[in-house]
Amino acid sequence: MSKEGRPDVPELEILSVIGFYGSVYAGLKVHPDREHFIYPLGNTVIVEHITSHRQYFLTGHTNDVSCIAVSNSGKYLASGQITHMGFKADVIIWDYSNKELYCRLTLHKVKVQSLAFSPKDTFLVSLGGQDDGSIVVWDVKSKEAVCGAPAAVKSAGTTYCVAYCNNDDFKFVSGGDGTIRVWTLDLKNRKIPAVDCNMGQLKRIVKCIEVAEDDSYFYCGTTSGDVLKMNIKNHILSFFGPEKDKFSMGVTSLALVKTGAILIGGGDGTVAICKGDKFKRMKSAKVKGASAITSLALRGNGHQFFVGAANSQVYLFNFAEFTHEILSTCHAAAVNDIVFPAESSELFATCSRNDIRIWNAGTGKELLRISVPNMTCHAIDFMRNGKCIVSAWDDNKLRAFFPESGKLMYMIEDAHNKEVTAIATTSDCKRIISGGGEGQVRVWEVSRNRQSLVEAMKEHKGAVSCIKVRKNDQECISASEDGTCIIWDLQRFVRNQVIFANTLFKCVCYHPDEHQVITSGTDRKIGYWETYNAAAIREVDGSMSGSINGMDMAPDGQCFVTGGDDKLIKVWNYKEGKVTSIGKGHSGFINRLRVCPQQKLIVSVSKDGAIICWKYPVC
Amino acid sequence: MSESIYNLIPREQVAPPKEKRYQSKFKSSVKDELKTNKSPNKTMGPAKVNLRSSGEFLTKHSKEPQLPEKTKFQFPDEETRKPGVPRQTEKPLMGLKSNKDFVQTNAVENIMSVPKKPAANFVDTPFGSTHPLEPSGLMPKYMKKKGYGETPQYLQKRKDETVRAQEEYNEYVREHYRRGAMKQLTEAERQTILDGLKKNWEEIHHQYQGLSVVTDTAPKKMRKERMEAEMKQLERDIELLEKHKAIYIGNY
Repeated sequence: MSKEGRPDVPELEILSVIGFYGSVYAGLKVHPDREHFIYPLGNTVIVEHITSHRQYFLTGHTNDVSCIAVSNSGKYLASGQITHMGFKADVIIWDYSNKELYCRLTLHKVKVQSLAFSPKDTFLVSLGGQDDGSIVVWDVKSKEAVCGAPAAVKSAGTTYCVAYCNNDDFKFVSGGDGTIRVWTLDLKNRKIPAVDCNMGQLKRIVKCIEVAEDDSYFYCGTTSGDVLKMNIKNHILSFFGPEKDKFSMGVTSLALVKTGAILIGGGDGTVAICKGDKFKRMKSAKVKGASAITSLALRGNGHQFFVGAANSQVYLFNFAEFTHEILSTCHAAAVNDIVFPAESSELFATCSRNDIRIWNAGTGKELLRISVPNMTCHAIDFMRNGKCIVSAWDDNKLRAFFPESGKLMYMIEDAHNKEVTAIATTSDCKRIISGGGEGQVRVWEVSRNRQSLVEAMKEHKGAVSCIKVRKNDQECISASEDGTCIIWDLQRFVRNQVIFANTLFKCVCYHPDEHQVITSGTDRKIGYWETYNAAAIREVDGSMSGSINGMDMAPDGQCFVTGGDDKLIKVWNYKEGKVTSIGKGHSGFINRLRVCPQQKLIVSVSKDGAIICWKYPVC
Repeated sequence: MSESIYNLIPREQVAPPKEKRYQSKFKSSVKDELKTNKSPNKTMGPAKVNLRSSGEFLTKHSKEPQLPEKTKFQFPDEETRKPGVPRQTEKPLMGLKSNKDFVQTNAVENIMSVPKKPAANFVDTPFGSTHPLEPSGLMPKYMKKKGYGETPQYLQKRKDETVRAQEEYNEYVREHYRRGAMKQLTEAERQTILDGLKKNWEEIHHQYQGLSVVTDTAPKKMRKERMEAEMKQLERDIELLEKHKAIYIGNY
């Protein structure tokens, strides 16, 4: 707020966040109080109550969170991040009880790979990424580094993970590409001498490490699909296995259960319980729809455990019966568009790479998923009668789907010469207006069985980013990245008016009475324009830092909402052109946002895959 | 049925109110019936039967089954049997007595009788199982029949008849010769006739081969048919002459 210079502006209330960064290894944790999840989403760390789903946001990182650690007592959380090449990546220790930043530790370059707390919360050990390659031990109390060392010998590859002993505050282990080391902290001399473990002829890349409860052994999951059992005392490999029937695509996560069994998550979505020195599979389940299992989080002693997959799905497993149910889903890639069906605030649809999903706005549960593998959907819209979902894809196709079964209704091949970037429907449900990357705006006459091109309007020179149609279906406005917005006559298919500005237009909105439009784009300015003669009425600074990507007008026309690269949602009074509320919560660039037709919700989607529902403020 | 996005909107599931417990509508009437006719003899009521008069009271053994009268046992051939041997005490009828000495006559009869011939059997196993010899086929039976190996009579008769007919015919021919009424063709004559016939046939055949292929007019057809008929006749004659060596020609 101080950055924006508006200390009096009230904040928007977050109703729910749909999002989880599944690709972070061991990113999903259960707090020792057994009642909260901890997981990363973009550059925030979210603490969520397991049953009531109340969320707390720990914000402070400047880029995506790459690792998370929870102290044994549960007093502290630690998270590391990625930054751009040449910058330092922070480790942040959070005070859990107050949910606030405890200290920021900056030493590592580019990426913090892994973190581990000592059993008595005295020390935090952090491992730098490939470009850093060092291990640093931090004193939690004094918030200072104790000592540091290169993570591996120069001949070895990257070190991927680090784990502390369960009883000894001065011993920890690390593992990576051809290196497994046991470290002993010499506090007096500020040194951490390391002993490389002897692996003989075995060559393995370790991705995850778990230390046994009595600190006698530690287990390493490898990309070859087996588990190594190492002796800590004599640094010798004691067993490895399974010899046959290895975990395909590697062992990506490990967890030790009190009974002596090992929970193993595989790269192909397998979760298994293994026992004994041969690592025999006692129980095994392939989680349907999950990609690599990146996190296995035990709740308490492990009667229940949570499984996080790389495609951002969270499952709840019952240990005894070994059954599972899906707990939450979210997009694993940038969400490109959000749309509400006409006159309904209970549902909304979002689109991303590979899929379109329909969500229940109240509960945040996924209702329907339409998958088109390896394709990215840029824009979606509902037909006004609700009988069809039309979508614009990067393989130059327009696809329409049935809204309940999710089956393909029809597909227009080569709808544009480049990818389709914008789409809109008319209120009579007979026409689709699409915009393409090459700058054409095309009008299609569609029915379930027949789709034909009515007219291609070739005025734009850059990609069309947004199309809005008037209520009477006689005019539409298209915003393009060539710096123009054009108002088209949809009966004669000619240009009525054109708006020029020195910007890449990202969004455009009609005022409900349709005499004025507001536009915005990368120049961070919100422009008010007359539709009759395209005359500029007013220009307002929409943001201090980033471009504005999403904008929507409230149905009553009193307010409009913007969001963009500054990761802030702003609610504006239309007449005064002033910000009335600000929503903070997004950790990635906001791509689009919408106000629901009943004006209860604002839903925004961002590049990090998060969907946030905000309560619409009282203007 | 067309799909609609609005069907996806989660609806509050209102549980239907629990229905009242089932109670039969006949409950009251069943209750009344149970009270009034306590034992209505199940379904049809008590059977309507006339009461017996007071005299026909129940007596002893009256409910036991009635068995038929006992009869004396008799053999089925009792009537056809001869009467029993007269007893010692019985007196002969009319005082008639025979002087035949049955003991004597029986003894004489037996002494004079020819002993019975043993049955003609054959034994085929070492354990002595016997079978009658006669039907076994081991004894010549048909060989010893009367007329065995002789020509049957009817064949003999037929043979005699043919011989007699031949003799009669020969006699007839000889008679004709004697009267000069018949002559036999010589071999040379027969040959010339045959050659002539063959030549005729060849001529007609030559002409026949020279006929036009198409027989379109009536005269052509008639001619062809005529030639065919002639050739057939000639063939028959040639065959007749070639078949028989001796040919006689009557003069009359």
